[in-house]
Amino acid sequence: MEKKFGVYICKGCGIKEAMDVEKVAGAAKKVQNYKFHDALCSPEGVQLIKDDMAKEGVNTVIIAACSPRVKYEEFDFPGALVERVNIREFVAWTMEPNTDATNDAAYDYLNMGIVRTQKGDLPEPNILPDLSSTILVIGGGIAGMTAALSAADAGQKVVLVEKDAQLGGIVNKLYKKIPTGSYINKPLVVDTDIAKTVSEVESNPNIKVYKSTTVSKTDGQPGLYDVTLSNGETMKIGAIVMASGWKPYDASKLDYLGYGKMKNVVTNFELEEIAKKNNGKLLRPSDGKPAMKVAFVQCAGQRDPNHLPYCSSMCCATSLKQAQYVRQNEDALAMIFYKDIRTPGRTELYYKEAQNNPGVMLTKADVTGISEAVNGNLYVEMENTLFGMKTGEKVKVEADLVVLATGMVPTTRGPQEYADGLTKAAGAGDEAKKNYLDQTPKPDYILNLGYRQGPEIPTLEGASGFADSNFICFQYETRRTGIYAAGGVHQPMNMAEAQEDGAGAAFKAIQAIDHVARGVAVHPRAWDVTFPDPMLIKCTACKRCTEECPFGAIDEDEKGIPFYKINRCRRCGTCMGACPERIVSFKDYSVDIVGSMLKAIDVPDDEDTFRIACLVCENDSYPALDTAAISRKKIDPSVRFVSMRCLGGMNLVWVADALSKGIDGMLLLGCKFGENYQCHFVKGSELANTRFSKVSETLNRLQLESERVQLMQIAINEYDKLPDMINEFVEKVKEIGPNPFKSM
Amino acid sequence: MSEATVIKPDLQFVNEIIKGGGESLKKCYQCATCSVVCNVTPEGNPFPRKEMVLAQWGQKDKLIASPDVWLCHQCSDCTAYCPRGAKPGEVLNAIRKQSIKHVAMVPFLAKVATDAKLLPILFAIPMVLFYAILVVLGNGNFSAPRAEGNIMAYHKFVPVPVIDTVFILTAIFAAASAFVGIKRLWSGMKAQAGELKSTGSLGGDIISSVTTILAHSKFADCNVNRMRQWGHMLLFYSFIGLAVVTTWAIVYLYGFELLGIKPFGPFHFGESPYPNSDPVKILALISSIAFAAGVVILLLNRFAKAGKAGMGSYFDWIFLLIVVGVGATGMLSWALRLADMSAGYLVYYFHLVFIWSLFAYAPYSKFAHLFYRTTAMVFARHSGRDKK
Repeated sequence: MEKKFGVYICKGCGIKEAMDVEKVAGAAKKVQNYKFHDALCSPEGVQLIKDDMAKEGVNTVIIAACSPRVKYEEFDFPGALVERVNIREFVAWTMEPNTDATNDAAYDYLNMGIVRTQKGDLPEPNILPDLSSTILVIGGGIAGMTAALSAADAGQKVVLVEKDAQLGGIVNKLYKKIPTGSYINKPLVVDTDIAKTVSEVESNPNIKVYKSTTVSKTDGQPGLYDVTLSNGETMKIGAIVMASGWKPYDASKLDYLGYGKMKNVVTNFELEEIAKKNNGKLLRPSDGKPAMKVAFVQCAGQRDPNHLPYCSSMCCATSLKQAQYVRQNEDALAMIFYKDIRTPGRTELYYKEAQNNPGVMLTKADVTGISEAVNGNLYVEMENTLFGMKTGEKVKVEADLVVLATGMVPTTRGPQEYADGLTKAAGAGDEAKKNYLDQTPKPDYILNLGYRQGPEIPTLEGASGFADSNFICFQYETRRTGIYAAGGVHQPMNMAEAQEDGAGAAFKAIQAIDHVARGVAVHPRAWDVTFPDPMLIKCTACKRCTEECPFGAIDEDEKGIPFYKINRCRRCGTCMGACPERIVSFKDYSVDIVGSMLKAIDVPDDEDTFRIACLVCENDSYPALDTAAISRKKIDPSVRFVSMRCLGGMNLVWVADALSKGIDGMLLLGCKFGENYQCHFVKGSELANTRFSKVSETLNRLQLESERVQLMQIAINEYDKLPDMINEFVEKVKEIGPNPFKSM
Repeated sequence: MSEATVIKPDLQFVNEIIKGGGESLKKCYQCATCSVVCNVTPEGNPFPRKEMVLAQWGQKDKLIASPDVWLCHQCSDCTAYCPRGAKPGEVLNAIRKQSIKHVAMVPFLAKVATDAKLLPILFAIPMVLFYAILVVLGNGNFSAPRAEGNIMAYHKFVPVPVIDTVFILTAIFAAASAFVGIKRLWSGMKAQAGELKSTGSLGGDIISSVTTILAHSKFADCNVNRMRQWGHMLLFYSFIGLAVVTTWAIVYLYGFELLGIKPFGPFHFGESPYPNSDPVKILALISSIAFAAGVVILLLNRFAKAGKAGMGSYFDWIFLLIVVGVGATGMLSWALRLADMSAGYLVYYFHLVFIWSLFAYAPYSKFAHLFYRTTAMVFARHSGRDKK
């Protein structure tokens, strides 16, 4: 494409009051064609650009105005390569007006924008052929069935695979459920009605149900999954909802609570079975007599680092529900011993109603053990109750049946533990690894992915095996694009939440199918038609990209050469930062483009004028800068911001590029990493930090102080602190002194 | 390792509290906001949070002989701030009712005094008693006997010695009931507290407790029900005033004859009715006005604060009804006598019924708080539970 440039400089929103726009336009002289407008986003301003495109054939539009995070509808010109130069937030709103430094900054930004379009190309979507739009739902419990029905109702073809001989999952085992809707003056337990949902699923023409079936292989990528079922059938699948559910925690590990040793100690699930079998009567196991004093021990394993370190969120409400089973006999007592009653969301209202029954008695307590009383009865032994005892005073309560409120273990936990064990064994040497493989029983895999990074979804650190996402921003996303977790495998949740979760995951699956059909990224750059296009001829098969890709988008061929599965890719550019050969590029984003932009920053010779290059993550730090600008916080005019898709794309060569050119310091602004990470791409800033640890080598080679380059972690809401952090860094660099390469 | 205390839940006791004015008991979820906002509770192990959970578990023994249950003045600050509408103030009141029942000398009377269903029996006892007396006296038809000068005189209706006999016996019964109740409550509290960490003398603790009561300083710590301090104070002192009047009347009546005192100055000795200029009459009038004002303040306050503090239970209202009944029939019979209307005799009959109810049921109704709260305050001081 022959590029015909058009540079449009907006004078509105305080821009012309802050700078000499004629001087700034000097940067556009090399591309000849530039125009000013008082309000470029007005219909007249937009028309000006459209007219130039139509009449003069302008196809490369550089708009020097506001942040690209605003006015994107106005400045949408299909068919043109559009570059937004942010001289409003980055210059006019954050720098002293009408100084040489301010004019220089705006000039640099425009220059960098022009360089970017000179180096870049108009992207075209990469739409793969023969895409499937069928959704595979793994798991026929309440979450999976809801997902299947939601997708089917939206017109999608669905394949539902259930491991058991019948649909229904855990709900099949329940006697009654907590009602939805208002609890006030309503029955507090109602029939589960699961059979109704099962028959809706089984009779839906859009849903094909496979029972007693599992998934034995999943190859390919969104839109093009090749799925093999355990019965040998193969099929093309567009996207996957993983609703494989959870299992109750193995209560035999809770021997301190008497489980397995005392007959009348049962789990909450066993109580459901007892109630179901006896039509609501709670007959205790030892002698079949109706239980009159039922003790519920909450957090039986949950919130205990030795068992389940998390709260299962539904067990308190479940015990309150089961207390109503007990109270069907008005002389019977339900006694609930809790660490804290945790009834999130609407279940708090259930707690209120369920508690409002004279025979449902609750107290906080640390249950220390269960001991035998007479006639098969038991003592629940505890400390730290609410009864106003002296500290350390022990209390016991007699019960004829003890119910352990055990928690949820996701079906992904087994595979995850296996994988963790393997990693650990592999770290101890080849022999240990071989022993591990030989001796450890294989877990029940769910997806059996043919991905280079492993057969299942990698879970997050601290997620205890749940296929959880970054819960702050992306509810259903797993680290495998096109595969969405729903229900108890996703997070601990109750039945109503699992239904909501199933519907949500189904719609995410539909979105994935829609996006790959249009050749745009699925998530989170949901508009992005660019894709990584590596120059494989130069690849050394070092495997860094295949290992570092947060989404397992890159497989390897027999020779170890990366093989991009584009529909799995989220376009973060982590591979671009990882590649030592610098061969990974996007049409508008590459090592060369960013490097050339950095080199386009004008570095004056004089020793008192500093230049700081700042690479900014577009997800948190860039919006934080925009917000700081809205509050008119001042930022040192020596700073030049360059937007990054993710700090994970940071290539060390840019440090050398910038500093060898005389730039005095370099700042990398990325998201928070670690346990409460906020990175859109899981660990981009963390990877940048790892690579960054090697930066001192580069600097030593250049004989520069390593303090000239720094990485900072910023959350989007820290906009108020950010300008000061940047300004302090600038001051620090000024203390170190000018870059000696400046005058070379 | 010390042996664990066994907690035995008592569903029946829970139901008794719920039915006896503690309907909101089960709403409590132990956040302890109540104990934080309470200004009356001692600082260590404060009420009413723990009383709420003990009541939810039916821990009868711990509650019916608990000084804390009685230290509560039902300011209702707790009720106003409770995030769940559990109304700890009302629940503690219901627990106090149970406490009265369980220390009562004649449990049947406690039942009569506190159970709405037994309201007819409550009034039937004095009505039958006094009607029988009237029948014996020949006034069963409520005819209007007149004194000399054809003036209305209630002592002609029911002679003073008859009244005195009945009420002195009733007072003795009430005093015995109170004594037994106080003794049972005290030993119950003592048993629960274990060893007493007594510091001062019992006499001193009694004096300082009574001083606190006279000054109404505990009421001053209330926030939501601040006005109740004045209402209760007026009522309290009006009762003292009327007690003085009653004693004074006895002195007038018998002092004249037995001691041979002659009337002097404005002081009238001898039989009623007394002239309106007599100091005892003036004191009676002032007390009556204070009484009426106190009742009005308490009633208005209760209605005004109903949203925050709750409307109270039968237990409160029956006591208030008797108190108001005493005052209203008393004043009305006085007014009817001055107006020379013979309907006054019927009103006077009811006046006697109400007064008897007030006396006889005192240790069994809400009036018992006079004895038991005082006992609890003395115990709290004596045991070191309350330093104030």
